[in-house]
This record gives sequence, C-alpha cells and structure tokens, in this order.
Amino acid sequence: MGDPGIVVDALVKTFGSKAAVAGLSFSVEGGEIYGLLGPNGAGKTTTLRVLAGILTPTSGRAVIAGLDVAAHPLEVRRRLGFLTNTTGLYARLTGRELLRYFARLYGLAPAAADARITALVEALDLAPFFERRCEALSTGERQRLSIARAVLHDPTVLILDEPTAGLDVLASRFLRAFVRAERDRGKAVVFSTHYLAEAELLCDRIGLLHHGRLLAEGTPAALRAAAGGAASLEEAFLRLVATHDDPDAIVAEPS
Amino acid sequence: MKLHTVRLVAGKELRETLRDRRTLAVMVLFPLVVYPLVSLVTAQVLSARVARVEAHVARIAIAGPPPIVARVRRLLSGADFSLAPVGAAADVAANRVDAFVEVTATPAGRPPAVRVFFDETREDSTTARDRVTQALGAVSGAGCAPPFAVATQGIAPRARMSGYLLSKVLPLVVVVMVMLGAFHPAIDITAGERERGTLETTLSAPIDRNALMAGKVLAVAALAALTGFLNLASMSLTVLEGAHLMANSAPLSIPWVHIAAAFAVIPPTAFLFAAVMVAIGSLARSFKEAQTLLTPVYFLCMAPSLTAALGDFRLDGATAFIPGVNVTLLARDLIVGRAPWGLALAVIASTLMYGLAALALAARLYDSERLFFSDEAGVGLGTWLRQLVAGHRGLGHTAEPDDAPTAGQAMGLYAIACVLLFFVFVPLQSWRLEPGLAISEWGGLLGLTWLYARGRGQRLATVLHLVPPTPPALIGAILIGLSAWVVVGLLAEWIVPAPKEVVAGLRRIVAPTGHDRGMLATLLLMAVTPAICEEALFRGPILRGLRTRFSPAMTAILTGLLFGIYHVDAWRLLPTALLGIALSGIALAADSIIPSMVAHFTNNACVILLARLHADDTASLSRGARLGWLAGGALVFTAGAMLLARSSKTRRDM
Repeated sequence: MGDPGIVVDALVKTFGSKAAVAGLSFSVEGGEIYGLLGPNGAGKTTTLRVLAGILTPTSGRAVIAGLDVAAHPLEVRRRLGFLTNTTGLYARLTGRELLRYFARLYGLAPAAADARITALVEALDLAPFFERRCEALSTGERQRLSIARAVLHDPTVLILDEPTAGLDVLASRFLRAFVRAERDRGKAVVFSTHYLAEAELLCDRIGLLHHGRLLAEGTPAALRAAAGGAASLEEAFLRLVATHDDPDAIVAEPS
Repeated sequence: MKLHTVRLVAGKELRETLRDRRTLAVMVLFPLVVYPLVSLVTAQVLSARVARVEAHVARIAIAGPPPIVARVRRLLSGADFSLAPVGAAADVAANRVDAFVEVTATPAGRPPAVRVFFDETREDSTTARDRVTQALGAVSGAGCAPPFAVATQGIAPRARMSGYLLSKVLPLVVVVMVMLGAFHPAIDITAGERERGTLETTLSAPIDRNALMAGKVLAVAALAALTGFLNLASMSLTVLEGAHLMANSAPLSIPWVHIAAAFAVIPPTAFLFAAVMVAIGSLARSFKEAQTLLTPVYFLCMAPSLTAALGDFRLDGATAFIPGVNVTLLARDLIVGRAPWGLALAVIASTLMYGLAALALAARLYDSERLFFSDEAGVGLGTWLRQLVAGHRGLGHTAEPDDAPTAGQAMGLYAIACVLLFFVFVPLQSWRLEPGLAISEWGGLLGLTWLYARGRGQRLATVLHLVPPTPPALIGAILIGLSAWVVVGLLAEWIVPAPKEVVAGLRRIVAPTGHDRGMLATLLLMAVTPAICEEALFRGPILRGLRTRFSPAMTAILTGLLFGIYHVDAWRLLPTALLGIALSGIALAADSIIPSMVAHFTNNACVILLARLHADDTASLSRGARLGWLAGGALVFTAGAMLLARSSKTRRDM
C-alpha cells in the first residue's frame, strides 16, 4: 500500500446544536478506493466538504497528502479533485473556457494547460460538445466535463460526493471505470454513495456511516461477515444499523 | 374555467408567499419604514437649506445717478442686505457681490429704471435678485405707481449655464444609474451562483476568499461603471436638448471637458456600490432573497445622493467624507467646473476606502458555513401569535429560558418600532410633547418589548438580560455616561455641524424657557424614561438578536446605527449613533443591560443639566478650550471603557 492520502481523526462538525459528524476517524491510502456509505443525513457530504476545505471542522482534524486541511486549505485544494453530484459547471462558459479557467486557477502554465486539456478531451471523449456552453449539455456530458475539471491538475487525492446520482447506467459505468483507473494510477479516492450495490462493486474498503459516526469499516466481504454473514451489503448495513439503534433487536430478513 | 379551482390555486399561492417572511417584510415594512424615514430626513435637510439661504445676507452693489441710488440704498437698508460702496456687473460674475443694481434716470412722470444683474448659476445670487426686485418693486399703497421699473438680467455665460443645468440633474441620475448597474450583476454572482449550484465548485478551487470576492466586486464594478458612463453621456445630450427645445433658443454648448472630468467620479462610486451590493448579496441564500435584501439597501444608498442633490450642500472637509453625498457633490462641482483638487482627491480616496471596507465585509460574509446551511431558528410566526394571546402557559413551543432572539426577530422588532414611531409616536409627540413622549416610550418601546417577551413565553427580565452587573462594570458605565456627551457631542459637531436653529430647537425641548416643566419632571421624562425604555428595546432583544449573527464589534456598530436612525434627525444621526455604539458596547462588555441603562441615564442627565445651566453652548468655546474638554472627556471615557473591558475579561476567566 502507498502513503496515506487521507487521514481523518476524531472529526466533529456541528451546526448549532446538531452534530452532523460526531467523532469520525478513518484513513485512505494511495491506490485505494474508500467508500463512505450511509443513508441521507448520515454526514457523508459534511465529511467530504470538510475534507475539501469548504467547511471548517468543529474539532478533530483532517489531513490530506500530509497537510492539515484547516491550517492549509489552499495547498490542500491544489492537491485534491472534488466532484459532487450537482456537477456545478458555469452555465454560460463553454467546456474549453471552463477548463482553461480552472487550469489557470490551479497555476498550470498555458502550454501545459493546453496539453493537459487536449489529453483529457481525448481520454473522456469531450470533443463532440467541448465548444458548446455548459447549459446546453446533457447530464452525462456534464458529468464527463466535471470529471475533467476535477482531475485537470492531476490531484493526488480524489473526493467524489455521490458522483453517480442521477446518472444513467452507461454514464455510471463510465464513471466507475474512470475511478478505478485513477486508483490504479495510485490515487487515494473517497467515494460517497447510498447505492450499496455500487459501493460493493467499486470500493476496496467501506466505512458505514450512521448519525455522523462510523458503525463499521472493512472490505465488503469483511462487513458482511461482521454482520453475522449477511447475504448482501444492504442486509449487512440494515443489521448493523438496527443493532446500533437498539442493541437487543434481532433483524431478520423476511424470506 | 372553474372559479373553485382559481380560488384554490390563489389560496395555495398566497399561503406559500406569505410564509416567505422576507418577502412579507419587504412588501409591508419597507413602504412603512424606509419611505417615511427618507422623507423625514430629506425634509429636515431641505428646511435647513431654506433656513441657510434665508439667513444669507445678500451682497449688493449699486451704480447710477446719485439721488436715485440714495433712494435705492434706503429701500435696501434692511438686515437682509449688505451694500458695497461701488461695483459693476463683473463683480457678480466674479462672486464679489450677489447682485448688481444699475439705476438709470427716465423722463419725468415715469419711475426710474432699475436693472438687476445676477448669476443664474448661484443660488445666493438668485435669492439676492428676488429680494431686490421685491424691495424695489413693492407698491406702497393701493393705486400708487411702483417706485421703480425693475428688470432682471442673468449674466452667466452659456457654457456655465448649461453646466449648471446639467449639475442639477446629472449627479443624482449618474449615482442612481451606477447603483442600478451594480444591482443585478451583484445578485447574479452571489446568490445566483448558489442557485446555479456552482458555489461548491468555486469553493473547492484554490482561490483565497479575498481574491475571490475582489474579483467578483471588480466585475460588478466594471458593469456598474459602464452603465454610469453611458448614462452620463446620454443624459448630458438629452438634458441639453430638452432645455434647448423648452427655451426655444440657441442650443446651449455642452461643457464636454467638465463632463469628461465628472467621469472620474464613476469608477470609485461603482466600486463602492458594487462592494456593498456584493456584500449584501453574499448574505442571501437565493436570488429572490437577494432581491428582497437589496431593494431596501438600494433605496438607502440612494438617500444620501438624493439629499445631497436636493440640499445643495457645499463640498467641504466634512461632506467630502460622507459616502454617497461626497460623490454626488463632487460630480456636481466637476460639471460646473469649480471642484478644488484637494477635496476631489479626498472624495475619491475616501470612496475607495469605503469600498475596500465593504469588500472586506463581503469576504467575511461570504461564509461557506452559512451559505450551505439554513440559520433560521426560533419560533414560527403562528406560534408566536398564539403565545402572545395565550401567554406563558399557552400552546405549543416555549422558548428555552436562555434562548436568545434571532437576528431576524431583532430586525422585525426594529421595523415595528419604526412604523410605530412614524405613525403613532411622532403625531403623539407633536400633539403634546410630554404625554406623547411618555406614552411612546413606556407604552410603545417598553410595551413592544414586553409583548415580544410574552409572545416568546419568556419573562421580560430574561429577554432584557436583566442581570446584576459587576461593580467595575457599573462604575465604567457611569464614567462613560459622564463623558460620552462631551466626546460624542464635540466629535459630531466637528464632523457634521448642526445648524443653529436645530440646536436651539433641541435646547427648547430639553430646557424649556419659563417654568413649563420642572427639573425633576424633565429628568424623569428625558433621562430616566429613555434609559429604561429605549435601552429595553435596543440593548435588549435587538442587540442580543444581532449578536447571534455578528461579531461583538459589528453588533455594537449595527445596533448603534439602528439607534441613531430611529431618532430620525439628520443632524443628530451621528451623535446618537455614536452614543448607541457606546451603549451597545457597554451592554455587551458587561453582559447585562443595567450598565447601559445607567450610562444612558447619566449621559442624558448631563445634557439636561448643562442646557438648564446654559453651559452647553460648545460653539462659543475657543479652540483650545474645546480640545481641552475633548481630551478630558476622552480620558474619562477611556477609563470607563477599560473598567468595562476588565470586567468582561474577569467574567470570561471565571
């Protein structure tokens, strides 16, 4: 395994009196895809926003590529690619204008930026719509352009917040293939989703998140075993949640 | 089309719209608060201007056959005139006199001819013309012939005349247009970005907050400046063409050089308004909310320019530093070609400084924490009303004993107080000052605070944060109360000197001549009452509500400003706002409302005592004496502030 790309240590993030993340710890190494799995409101998005330096932690810390996120937010952002399901692209810019803007923000020299953009246009097949304004693109096209934006500066860490939400089967498959390829190039990837089947397909390790805490962590197979030999990750998750909420409950899947 | 369905849809839409409290606030409170406020202040400024013009002594030069000149001199011997021994029409142009009266003898049986030369572009000169024509043209009795045949003649050159015409209209239009130019772009790049879902994308890029906001403000300022340039050019042509058509005369020449010079005002103005609007837009969570927030701000930003344009103030060491007012006056002076370099630079530099301050504020307000999450807390309107009727043990939600009011509730209370002020308190007080004041303060301000507490299901003492202060805090508050009037009063007088009539009017209220009201009654009504009632509202729920959203310093400044504006007096705005900031600082540092009440009482009591003793005429003090007073006051004030700061630190350490 490579160097630790991401370390989250006793992370707490509260909004008013509500704790969205309540003492979360995990780490992701280079060349690994870590899935943050949990229902809506479990604290996945908040955790990822803290990792991306968009939110500051209430306590605890997050370290990306050896840098404390709260202390060095700008340096951290230069080393990470952040992608969300909302795929916010500037609607009135074309794909090329958008990538050029971000290339300059990331400090790429013009020649290097152009070379990188050309390579990404080819790798992600952006050419058919690259000169169109983002507002005129389909969901799948937008997602591909967003991926290009997120990896433009060749980050060492990728943070993907439910990137497949709203995508069709083909686009989801394309994205998964891309994530695997990035992992194989040695990147540390955190991938949040509430599609359990997808997590099972893609992730090397999974952290089950519930009410801002980690319920369990391990490979998909280890998680199923920990839940008393559950048949699927979904069943494992349901059992673990039920045990956590009410330790005496016995979860039986009706057959 | 079924009427039933129409009604159903209308009902649902109304319900949804009315549940958006911000829309409701702008729809209802805006016309009730902002318009009366702006119109009251404008009226005050205008009446002060009229008083100033009337108080000006018209400088007149007279020439002609000595016997008739002697008659004219007799008629113009009143206090309104100052007669120069000699003169000519050129003296009017050179601003050595306000009007030149040329008398010529006529054949017997006809009144002598009088020609009054004046400068159309100077208000003192047109006033002098009016006074002279009135004095010389007046008929002494029914059936009598007028003593003189009076004619008038303007002497301003055409270029200056057109500059004058343009200077009356253009500055306001340009400032307003620059603001309008900033309005939509500012919303689009703040709240619009949020709505388009690109905020997260932007924030995940390695841009530091200040650079991001500076870039946004620069873009908005560029668009606003472009709007300003286009409007200035187009309006110049339109106004002059219109004047030409109306006057049916030769076209007025456009002073293009002066208009080009006026362009210099646009970039700093655009920068200031862009920064202010981006800062406000950053607070909003949606396009609609940004519009709701920015519309009142737009009108409030327009008010200084409107006042400056209507009030015809002079650009001087004080007005050059008042935002909005300064750029309007400078644009006017540039168009007529009489702007002094030093003041022009002061205006541009101070406007840029205000812009930078607004930009820094924008960067702070563009807070990702708040932008991603709703901060709406507190009691819903319906619950609040139910509790108001049913009292503490009413239905539904009861605020926790230590629940602070929200910032929204603070502003709501302030708006209600303003509405009451305009439509109830002011009429009551002009009906009869003493009972009117007592009812407004005890029934109005304290009553409003009490109703609010009842609605929340809390005790009044809890809402007021009525807790015993530490002895140092109390002593500090007394020291500040003893010195605030001198520090605040002298500072305000130095920055924005109030007209004499305004000061005299105020003195009549505080210390009526004769024995209309005894000392004790005055102290009760004008020191004890505001110290309790005004503090209850302003340093109670308003201060505590704003504190939930802003830093202590910002809370004190905002509460102080609201307090100053509430006193709807253009001349007292600065001193009351400064006093309000000091009182808010006291309440925050002491973490109790009692010291701010004590300081408020002490301050007002000092002012009343001095007015009674006729020892409050600071204008008659020598410069040295004034500096002495200011230094002494500042010393006592600082001692008080230090005591309070220490008490605040001790409390934190406990």
